[in-house]
Amino acid sequence: MADSKDFIAGVDSNAKKSPRRIVFITRRTSAQVKVETEDQIQTFPEVLFRAVVAIEVLAVVLVGISLMFNAPLEGLADPSHTPNPAKAPWYFLGLQEMLHYFPPVVAGVLVPGLVVMALIVIPYFKVNIEAEGLFLKDRARRLRIFYLVTALLSLFLIAFHVIVALVPTLVIALLMILASQSSPQSSTGFRRYLAARPLSYWVMTWFLFELVVLTAIGTFFRGPGWSWIWPWQGS
Amino acid sequence: MAEEKTSAEAGDLNRRQFFAKLGLSSLGIAAAGTAAFAYQYLEPNVLYEPSPIVDAGKPDRYPLDSVTLDVNNGIYIIHSQEGYFSLSAVCTHLGCLTAWKPELGIIACPCHGSKFLVHQEDAKKPGDKIEGPAPRPLPWKRIWLNDDGDLLVDRSTDVPAMARDSFVRV
Amino acid sequence: MAKSLDQYFDDLRKTRVWRSIFRSGTGSSTLHRALAIQQNVFLHLFSTKVRTRLLGFSATWYLGTLTFGTFLILVATGIPLMFYYHPSVPQAYADTKDLQFVVSSGLFLRNLHRWSAHAMVFLVFAHMFKVFYRGAYRTPREFNWVIGVVLLLITLLLSYTGYLLPWDQLAFWAITVGSNIASAVPLIGNKIHFLLLGGNAVNANALLRFYVLHCMILPLTAMFFVAIHFWRIRKDGGLYAHSSEPATMRAKASETFSSRKSGETGGIEGNPGAQGVAREAR
Repeated sequence: MADSKDFIAGVDSNAKKSPRRIVFITRRTSAQVKVETEDQIQTFPEVLFRAVVAIEVLAVVLVGISLMFNAPLEGLADPSHTPNPAKAPWYFLGLQEMLHYFPPVVAGVLVPGLVVMALIVIPYFKVNIEAEGLFLKDRARRLRIFYLVTALLSLFLIAFHVIVALVPTLVIALLMILASQSSPQSSTGFRRYLAARPLSYWVMTWFLFELVVLTAIGTFFRGPGWSWIWPWQGS
Repeated sequence: MAEEKTSAEAGDLNRRQFFAKLGLSSLGIAAAGTAAFAYQYLEPNVLYEPSPIVDAGKPDRYPLDSVTLDVNNGIYIIHSQEGYFSLSAVCTHLGCLTAWKPELGIIACPCHGSKFLVHQEDAKKPGDKIEGPAPRPLPWKRIWLNDDGDLLVDRSTDVPAMARDSFVRV
Repeated sequence: MAKSLDQYFDDLRKTRVWRSIFRSGTGSSTLHRALAIQQNVFLHLFSTKVRTRLLGFSATWYLGTLTFGTFLILVATGIPLMFYYHPSVPQAYADTKDLQFVVSSGLFLRNLHRWSAHAMVFLVFAHMFKVFYRGAYRTPREFNWVIGVVLLLITLLLSYTGYLLPWDQLAFWAITVGSNIASAVPLIGNKIHFLLLGGNAVNANALLRFYVLHCMILPLTAMFFVAIHFWRIRKDGGLYAHSSEPATMRAKASETFSSRKSGETGGIEGNPGAQGVAREAR
């Protein structure tokens, strides 16, 4: 805000009868809206043609796959006979894997519900707006909180024998420890990259990693009775 | 620049025009192929409709000079002096189911008033139109006896009116 | 001298009939290119110009466009499939088998529909993660992110309702398990289960409800939200460009619009006395 010395303003004593708009112009700049002066190009044809080509490539790939691989079709639905294993579509297999450890209220309702809520509120929380590396400020305190949270989460997972979720958690934790030991002046590019990642990055990456691992487990490592199988054992 | 212009005037394509033509032609071929396959897709290969062959039962169900309408299959079984023959009961005007009027001795369509003969009259044959908007006479359907002695009618095959083979003689 | 094909097209474009349909005419001037977007009922959802920096593949990997592309493929294959499918039990299974073995191109259409569906679920997740890691959810784009999450849920629901339609063992038991999870919701779980299936078990009512959801309600809802999603991209200032748009730009703009602090993340480019909006680009 500019100094009060930079301008004088006077207002009519009868402001109700003669309303005015008052513009304060400081000395340094002019009263103009700042706009971007970045290069722009026409939507048509540049953007549209690129979009069309991208979709065409996608269509060619999907048509190729459709000509080579058939969609699965099993026998007629039979309410009296449950196949073993009865697996959900692949995008729900992560959920089904969690149902193995937790009751349906938790794994089926609570966790997905919380995940959706967490996704929705991401942009409204300041922690996701900050773009600074997590351990670059207030390092000791943040490291303590990090160890505490990781320990609690790991103990919780161990208590429920959710080893499949524990492993990704530990991997991310190791990466975060490496990040805490790095700085923008670190030796390798990888460590410099890790040091600059904010908290939101770590949480989301952990979530992504868990999603991928749980879905992979549900797809390849679960057989009849939801028992553990190795993918090469066949089913 | 000048060389490009003159060669373009001479009917050659520059690179942009070539690729534009190539692209549009490929798109055209793809569209034509898609249209052809789409048309083939929409025409069913298999129909779940009932067979056109109707089993009308034993001939002695139909006494002499009787006209019997089979409403489920849309045919008349008629036993005249010449033998048994079958007329389509579907009006040739717009497809309504006609009715046999014994008090008038004719077949009449309730929708727009077409009337058809059942017995021969002068030059007119059974199935010919007496009056009404119907454009064609009621067609004769192929009728024959199977090995069990049942009368069979093929609704998908028309036979000439009053021809020798259009009757079943028992 | 015989006219070439191009000349015939040019003459066609000058006719009154053509000009009555395509009001703004064709041409390669900037004005015509802008009008091609702005005067088109479908395309005027987009702005006539975009920032060059966001055009390249590496900015977004075109994931949003590709997700929309799979959606279009799914609509284009799904509607023909509806011509041979009766949503009744057990006719649905017989129809699926018919599509695979009897109907011309039926196997291809069904395969394309199925694989595009899987691709769409994968792409919509990839799009979400890419947007997050780009930071493109920050102010003023928060609400568009929320619309995106809604679209993610709609995509998953579309895939889930479609999964039941073949009425085979895979479909039946996947939906039985899924709807039993829904009944695990406290208090209202059983009610949800009953409403979703139109009964107490997965039977003819359930198939019909899922069919209506899959073919009518969810696609219309998806198109509705997709339109808002595209509109918001434009209204929020186009696709997010990393260094020209700091996250706090809008917040700062509500203070004085003439201040320019150093150390601001990114910083507003341009200088005082710059030209106004819509400068013609070469």
